[in-house]
Amino acid sequence: MTVHQIELTGINKYYGAYHALRDIDLKIRKGAFVALVGPSGCGKSTLLRSLAGLETISSGDLVIAGAKMNGVPPRKRDLAMVFQSYALYPHMTVEQNLTYSLRIRGVDKAEAKRKAEEVAATTGLSHLLGRYPRELSGGQRQRVAMSRAIIRNPKAFLFDEPLSNLDAALRVHMRKEIRALHERLKATSVYVTHDQIEAMTMADHVVVMRQGIIEQQGAPLELYDRPVNKFVAGFIGSPAMNFVPASSGSDGKSLLLEFEEPQTIPFMRPVKAGQPLLVGIRPEHFELAGDSDAMLRLPVGAVETTGASTYITTATQPELVIVLNSRAAIRSGEIIGLRFDPAHLHLFDQQTEIRLG
Amino acid sequence: MNFALRDKVMLAIAVLLAAVYLFPLYWMYVTAIKTGSAMFASPPSFWPADPQWSIYRSVWESRNVGRYLWNSVVIASGAVLMITILGTGCAYVLARYRNAWVDAGLFLILMLQVLPASLMITPIFVGFSQLGLLDYPRTAVILAIAAKSMPFFVVLVRATFMSVPIELEEAALVDGNSRFGAFFHIVLPLARNGILVSAILIFMQAFGEFVYSKSMIQAIEYQPASVGLNSFMGPNTNEWNNIMAYAAMYVTPILAIFVLLQRRIVSGLTSGALK
Repeated sequence: MTVHQIELTGINKYYGAYHALRDIDLKIRKGAFVALVGPSGCGKSTLLRSLAGLETISSGDLVIAGAKMNGVPPRKRDLAMVFQSYALYPHMTVEQNLTYSLRIRGVDKAEAKRKAEEVAATTGLSHLLGRYPRELSGGQRQRVAMSRAIIRNPKAFLFDEPLSNLDAALRVHMRKEIRALHERLKATSVYVTHDQIEAMTMADHVVVMRQGIIEQQGAPLELYDRPVNKFVAGFIGSPAMNFVPASSGSDGKSLLLEFEEPQTIPFMRPVKAGQPLLVGIRPEHFELAGDSDAMLRLPVGAVETTGASTYITTATQPELVIVLNSRAAIRSGEIIGLRFDPAHLHLFDQQTEIRLG
Repeated sequence: MNFALRDKVMLAIAVLLAAVYLFPLYWMYVTAIKTGSAMFASPPSFWPADPQWSIYRSVWESRNVGRYLWNSVVIASGAVLMITILGTGCAYVLARYRNAWVDAGLFLILMLQVLPASLMITPIFVGFSQLGLLDYPRTAVILAIAAKSMPFFVVLVRATFMSVPIELEEAALVDGNSRFGAFFHIVLPLARNGILVSAILIFMQAFGEFVYSKSMIQAIEYQPASVGLNSFMGPNTNEWNNIMAYAAMYVTPILAIFVLLQRRIVSGLTSGALK
């Protein structure tokens, strides 16, 4: 027996001439919480729907719990899915919505009712079992959709952007609730989202997709610390990583950052001289520095403060975003000194945008 | 002009137009119970002095209205049944699949709707005659009406199906149902109102159908009420009270159905099935 609950090997999907999924390889451990994340049109939803059996794959192997599932209809895959629109059956009460899958499988009425009550108790829906979906609030509908998935005890949960219809506060709350639920049930979960914060905070394993290919997959912090290319580096983290074109200095111990007025910073790792580079640094890795230890001196463009942190945008080309977790008396037009740990620099090839070193 | 006044003027115009539109209906009921001389009186009276209620019974018996109405019901029900069963499936497919072939199909269906019955009757008559269908005249008329009214039904019901989100079906599939199960458990109940309303509209249309019935049904015992009404007409028709009594008996049941269901019909046509 394999420890992988879901194994995808060389999955391809075409819509006519459009190549929606390209050679997707993905192994999902039993009990893992995996997030598929990427900009819209990257193929994450298509991949999820292929798992569910709502789309047929053009080639490759799709194995769920050790059984090959290519072309098997959704009802025989034993997966549960939570839809973005929740897809609650409007003509059924909450209880009927919850027990629908059980009734189809021929579970007897009393047993189905008992299970519905049991699940409703854990998700806080006990007092709503007799209501219709139209009589519920957004958060309650969301919970019904989740409960409908839980009640079946399926081989895996599939989530298709389940939080995107909720307001910001409720979204943060449901994020924790879903994660807590996963801790409790230990069920294999695949979670599609376009929101990298959701992916980073909820998942054990994040899969970043773009244009039908997997750009990178790994633990959230691994993606944050060592993005394999410029796309992943810019996608993970908020505000996004800063990128500055650069070249290595002639002494091999410095980098020349190509602002309008180029600036030199020290850099110890070996870089081929003359190679065109992109230097990436995250906004939160900057610190203000005095005259003595400043590595960069840049003019300030805009300053925004949230109370907890200060967002500075420099008046340079390309502009940098700097986040300071403190208040700073900085005004637009000022020149500020900045320093950072050179270990926090990310280097990419300017042409291929692939990580160096 | 303030809004309240404008609303009142608008309402007055609406009532006036409705009165003009409904006047023939009123005239039908009134003429039916007039005496022979009151019918032709000039100026006409708008309320009969001496209502002749017995005319309904005498027309019902002499004209065998019961048999005509029964034939109308049989023909209309047959056509509605056939259209509902075939048209629902057709509308569902047209609602769920979108490609060049489906678009072409939809266009052809709408084209069928444009062709008038009086144009279609000759080829249909010849065709049915060759097939021997005219030996079963009511069946032949049911088939012809079904073909004629199907597009209308399909277009209406397709819109209803399109208002049922596809995620609901997908949820049912993932929940363990087959495509057929999902259709019958989820989609059909949600589209029920739209289908019902369309079926009622088709029924009312078929109940009053004349061209096909008149052309294809020779035997008087199979003729529907519309053809029966036409049999009054001759070169010297003057029994208007009888005609109006017949018409009243023919129209009133349909009118009653419409009044009873009008709220549902209007809401079914305007809102989606999901409210």
